[in-house]
Amino acid sequence: MRVKVLRQLSPFTEPYWEEFLYDGPGDNTVAGLIDYLNYHDDIVDINGKKTTRIGWECSCLQGVCGGCAMVVNDMPRLACETFLRDLKGEELTIRPLRKFPVIHDLVVDRSVIHQNLMKSDIFIGAYQPSDGADHEHQYSVAKCLKCGLCLEVCPNYVNGDSFFGAIFANDCYLVSARNSEKRKEITELYHSHFGNSCSKSLSCMDVCPMKIETIASIAKMNRQRG
Amino acid sequence: MKNVLIIGSGIAGLSCAIRCAEQGVKATLISPFPSERAQSVMAAGGINAVLRDCEAGDSVHSHIEDTLRGGSFLGGKNAVTGLCTRAEEIIRYLERIGTVFSVDPSGSPSRRAFGGQSYKRTCYCGSSTGKQIVSALVMEARRYEAAGLIERRLWSCFHSALIRDGRCCGALLFDESTRRIEAVCADATVVATGGQNSVFGKTTGSTQCDGYTAGRLFMQGVELKNLEFIQYHPTTVETAQKRMLISEAVRGEGGRLFYTDSGRRVYFMEDKYGSRGNLMTRDVVSREIYAAGRDVYLDISFLEQKEIDERLPEVRELCRKYRGLDIAREPIPVAPSVHYFMGGIAVHMNHETNIRDLYAVGECASMYHGANRLGGNSLLSAIYGGWTAAEEIAGREAAVRHYDFSGLAERESAALMSRMETESRFPVMYIRDMLSETMNEKLGIVRDQPTLTDGLADIDYYLSVADKINYDPAVMPYFNYSLTGILTLSKAILTCALSRTESRGAHYRSDCPQEDDSLAYASVITYDNGAFRVRFDKEHEYES
Repeated sequence: MRVKVLRQLSPFTEPYWEEFLYDGPGDNTVAGLIDYLNYHDDIVDINGKKTTRIGWECSCLQGVCGGCAMVVNDMPRLACETFLRDLKGEELTIRPLRKFPVIHDLVVDRSVIHQNLMKSDIFIGAYQPSDGADHEHQYSVAKCLKCGLCLEVCPNYVNGDSFFGAIFANDCYLVSARNSEKRKEITELYHSHFGNSCSKSLSCMDVCPMKIETIASIAKMNRQRG
Repeated sequence: MKNVLIIGSGIAGLSCAIRCAEQGVKATLISPFPSERAQSVMAAGGINAVLRDCEAGDSVHSHIEDTLRGGSFLGGKNAVTGLCTRAEEIIRYLERIGTVFSVDPSGSPSRRAFGGQSYKRTCYCGSSTGKQIVSALVMEARRYEAAGLIERRLWSCFHSALIRDGRCCGALLFDESTRRIEAVCADATVVATGGQNSVFGKTTGSTQCDGYTAGRLFMQGVELKNLEFIQYHPTTVETAQKRMLISEAVRGEGGRLFYTDSGRRVYFMEDKYGSRGNLMTRDVVSREIYAAGRDVYLDISFLEQKEIDERLPEVRELCRKYRGLDIAREPIPVAPSVHYFMGGIAVHMNHETNIRDLYAVGECASMYHGANRLGGNSLLSAIYGGWTAAEEIAGREAAVRHYDFSGLAERESAALMSRMETESRFPVMYIRDMLSETMNEKLGIVRDQPTLTDGLADIDYYLSVADKINYDPAVMPYFNYSLTGILTLSKAILTCALSRTESRGAHYRSDCPQEDDSLAYASVITYDNGAFRVRFDKEHEYES
């Protein structure tokens, strides 16, 4: 299988495509494929020329940490749960998430996610649940990996300057559901950084590895308006 | 204002940082990646606590007894008493900051049975308890970050501790984004870097937990304890990229272990240990699976699909995704695999090491679990340890010191860069791979003197080349400079396993299969200019 990887040696250098030939097991994931290319032998490009190992981020290798978020065949995914057998075509393209600054190859700096939640003071503080709160949805929302796949695919999210994306909407719901005293304040933040600009494409839900139903958070937050 | 440097931002590091901030101590959290990538998110099953509405007959005393017995009485008794006594306070705290526990009809956290415990006292959040707690702690830390009391430094990796006159004054940190080593001084330094999984390659845990910090500190004079006690989790499943954990929650919900003999299912744990056989401690279950010598399965398919989806949704999803099997219909093929390290950095009850102002918390420290950890006690001890260290630090006078480490940082930076600029014919990562082969082959569930001695010879060879090879410029500098510390820690683990000439808890020696009362103490290992010395802590110096 031909594998094209968009590489970038550092934040200060230009990106470039490099091609590899993968001859490893067919039941691998994309994470397993990168590992195979990196460490099966000395790493060479498709022409047999020695090259540098592909930089990528991973921790759990089982879809619960969000480290290995990247774009595979134009679809934002977690590499560790994307199986080669499920991909179409003889060629594979891998590139870093493009809504975040590249640190090295497929490693990107997603700290804007945390910064936006911090500067808007999104924390529960004291558990004072709202009446009729949906426990199952809260459980689901609290599993958010902060991986950034939903921001990558979102047509409204650019760089997190003003529109903070689905991650923010879901965390707003979690805080307002678990601390009713913060509901008013959180609802205002929700509308200024999400509700007023979301065009409801819901592509975020298509790529979420935790299958979080952002539409349910949106519906619940919109009901709190005013 | 006092300041504390915390290396690692998983549950132990976060708990310590928040408790410091609550007491007006500024905490700097050091980790290359955010807390969501920490191994803590992989903890599935639950957290133990005897709550007011506990099962009839249960008590904090019983929790203490179970923990000590499960650890073959090598856990510090005073420390375990503190741990279990504050467990309810920890659960109430987690509820208050918004952790999404699974709850019973009265709104109290639901509890399930776990191995080695006399009562159902494991509170849980579905089968993603660690993730749910991390989410709540990250939010709580955020409020103090906004107030300037917690600062996060991403892309930073531990390099070494700054130790002068027997005190730790901070650490040298390597910044992956600037590629420089910087000296960061602090009134106290807390290590919360997790276990040393990746010396065994890809285990059930995170690839980020490599033991380097413990290894490097050991080389700088920090004592390590009980390294030979490594927990093999009995139920893990093989996948294309790693062994994955099948949570003990499956057995807690009634899951049964069996093998087949002439087409008949043999429930070997129940046959040998009675109706609660599947919930024996992990060391016992792992050895029984090993002794069975054939394919073993874990069956939960007799539960209603709805019950599985309510209580074990993540386990069902993991098996479906990575093995293509539905646990609601068929049994899971399981085998033991390296999962948790009871041993680590030796700490006193206040979590301080033998170096003043240097603390260790969470899995990298050794205190509560003795020779074998009970399921549900790791999340508890991570939070309790973080709190204990933070409370000690806040209660102490800030040290007045005037050291300048900038020259040292410059020299270390220059030395690292000069090695990075060379071409390697012997990449560091290959040595890491060989190390994991050695550790898996020589330090299994069943050990003996000749095999352990072979393992030591292998590691001595790797160590003999580690300082001579050029660094591999194709991987991150951290992977290069961490090699010697990781190899040194691995050698210390094997040395301790060789020194304990008995079988106890998770350490089983086929050449010394019995417990030896004269060795019923923690092992402590020290490093002195390349010499490794093991002693047994007969004076209980680490239990105060």
